[in-house]
Amino acid sequence: MKRQLWIGILVAGILLGLWTTFKVYTAGFTVYAKTDVLVWTLPLSTYIFLSLTSAGLAFVSSIPVVFGIKRYEAIEKRTVYLEIAVLLGSFVCLILHLGAPLKVVYILLSPNPSSPLWWLAVLYMVYFVLLVAAFWRIHTGKMSRALGTLVFLIAIFTSTTLGWLLGMTDARPSLNASFFSFYFPLTGFASGLAALILFCILDEELSGQERSEGHTVLYNEAARLMGITAGMVLVLFLWRTISGGISSTAIEYGAFRHMIGSIPYNIEFWLGLVVPTVLMLIPSIRATAWGKLTASALLLVGMFAGRLEFVLSGVVRPLGQMAEGRPEIVSYIPTVYEVLVALFGLSVMLLIYTLGERYLKLEAVPE
Amino acid sequence: MPRYAMVIDLQRCVGCGSCSISCRNENNVSEGIYWSHKITETSGTFPNVRYHYIPTLCNHCTNAPCAQGCPTNAMHKLDNGITMHDPKKCIGCRYCMINCPYGVIYFNWKDAHPSWRGNKAVIQGATSSPAEEVRKVGGNGTPYYNPERDETLPGIRPKGVVEKCTFCDHRLKRDKLPSCVESCPADARIFGDLDDPQSQVNQLLGKFRPFRLKEALGTEPAVFYIRDFSAAGYPRTKGGI
Repeated sequence: MKRQLWIGILVAGILLGLWTTFKVYTAGFTVYAKTDVLVWTLPLSTYIFLSLTSAGLAFVSSIPVVFGIKRYEAIEKRTVYLEIAVLLGSFVCLILHLGAPLKVVYILLSPNPSSPLWWLAVLYMVYFVLLVAAFWRIHTGKMSRALGTLVFLIAIFTSTTLGWLLGMTDARPSLNASFFSFYFPLTGFASGLAALILFCILDEELSGQERSEGHTVLYNEAARLMGITAGMVLVLFLWRTISGGISSTAIEYGAFRHMIGSIPYNIEFWLGLVVPTVLMLIPSIRATAWGKLTASALLLVGMFAGRLEFVLSGVVRPLGQMAEGRPEIVSYIPTVYEVLVALFGLSVMLLIYTLGERYLKLEAVPE
Repeated sequence: MPRYAMVIDLQRCVGCGSCSISCRNENNVSEGIYWSHKITETSGTFPNVRYHYIPTLCNHCTNAPCAQGCPTNAMHKLDNGITMHDPKKCIGCRYCMINCPYGVIYFNWKDAHPSWRGNKAVIQGATSSPAEEVRKVGGNGTPYYNPERDETLPGIRPKGVVEKCTFCDHRLKRDKLPSCVESCPADARIFGDLDDPQSQVNQLLGKFRPFRLKEALGTEPAVFYIRDFSAAGYPRTKGGI
């Protein structure tokens, strides 16, 4: 009954998403909080959040095959499947961000290798195919070492190419910092770990399974790793704030300085980084299921807000003639349709995962 | 092959906006989109204040970050230096808008010319509705539709793609100057070939001290500005403390 209710909620989310899709392509993109200044908003930030989480999950699923730590094989199948589900959810948000998604075929027909976006598109296509192949291998037998290594490498390339993509924007230094090619994979790893812990523990709690000792040790280790990673992200985040937001005098950083006082920034900083780091530093809390659940859920909420803060810090300050007749900083509140796009992506991801959980024996360990 | 550039003489520019109006008519530019626009700068402290116009358009940068970042080559450079856009290949990612430092690329958030799509007459039985008006005069999207724009670019751009100034490439093919240049009553816009040392563009660039917008970014814009206008005078002074 609980499962049916859950699936019903997700189907409702998907139906609302389909209705949003219909509105977007009939009424136009005016259903979003459109201005010529705010060209990238919640649908794109949700895509970034999900795609980096998928890359982070790929780092975790690669641990047994790339780094030879065999105890992670216990969660390998679930991790790879979750990667696929999260990636498909991100594609939903990306499609609804694009103005003309049916023309993506021109990425193949008219390639531009000087574009980081072209590389990202190609890498994601390869990544998706490899993930499906990897899951099929695990489902039918044993994970291939070569396939696992390829998934690991592509996950590095996708997350770092995103840093190049934004690093190219010389006119928007809030997006353009050379360390983003490091920051993105690291934050992706943090959110990947958080997603994995959340889904694994929730599955066990909701299904009433008794947790094996092996799993308990594994989750404790993953939680410790998540705490360390969140702490590292926190340090980088603070330096980004200091160098770009406080000590820089460049007017182009005005957008980021504005975002420092914003709600997404503070959610990211306090809820997404400070609290999970502190929680996971305290051994007694780290050892509990609720402690891990709370920390991982908060970290994911913080990362979600952080991706929005990041995207907005690049666009809220109008450039050139776009500034004519506009305030120095343009305010942004997502529309209902933008929220529904984000929910659409999350619903697709959760439904795919739920169906996999039901029919694909995700708890199985490869031979 | 010429390498096109434009010089805008800020002393001659009277700020009348005819460049923007002729651009809209020539290129069927929809409401809310500005292929030709301006930046208004205010200087001084009240009561000693004045404002300046800087007319703006696509800078057709030699190192165009919009074209470099476009994943499908929808935004691309032509041999004559024009940064051209092909809506058929545009996926609507808006990465060019993020990359452009000058804010001259626009996205079609909705179908073009929405005010001409209405079916409601202002006075029922007496006036035509906007859509009827378009039908009556055989227009396409607007009553003043220019079919010549179709020669190199869809005359009306669909929603979901970006668009921007093309230096009126369709007119250049017929040896005509861009519409904004031709319509300027003060001859403040001078168009020509940078590769021709004798072109009027080069003569002006050699005579005055030109500047370009955001030169430090290294985009190498093909739109240059010369001189400035101020009718103000002031008595000779060394200031005071």
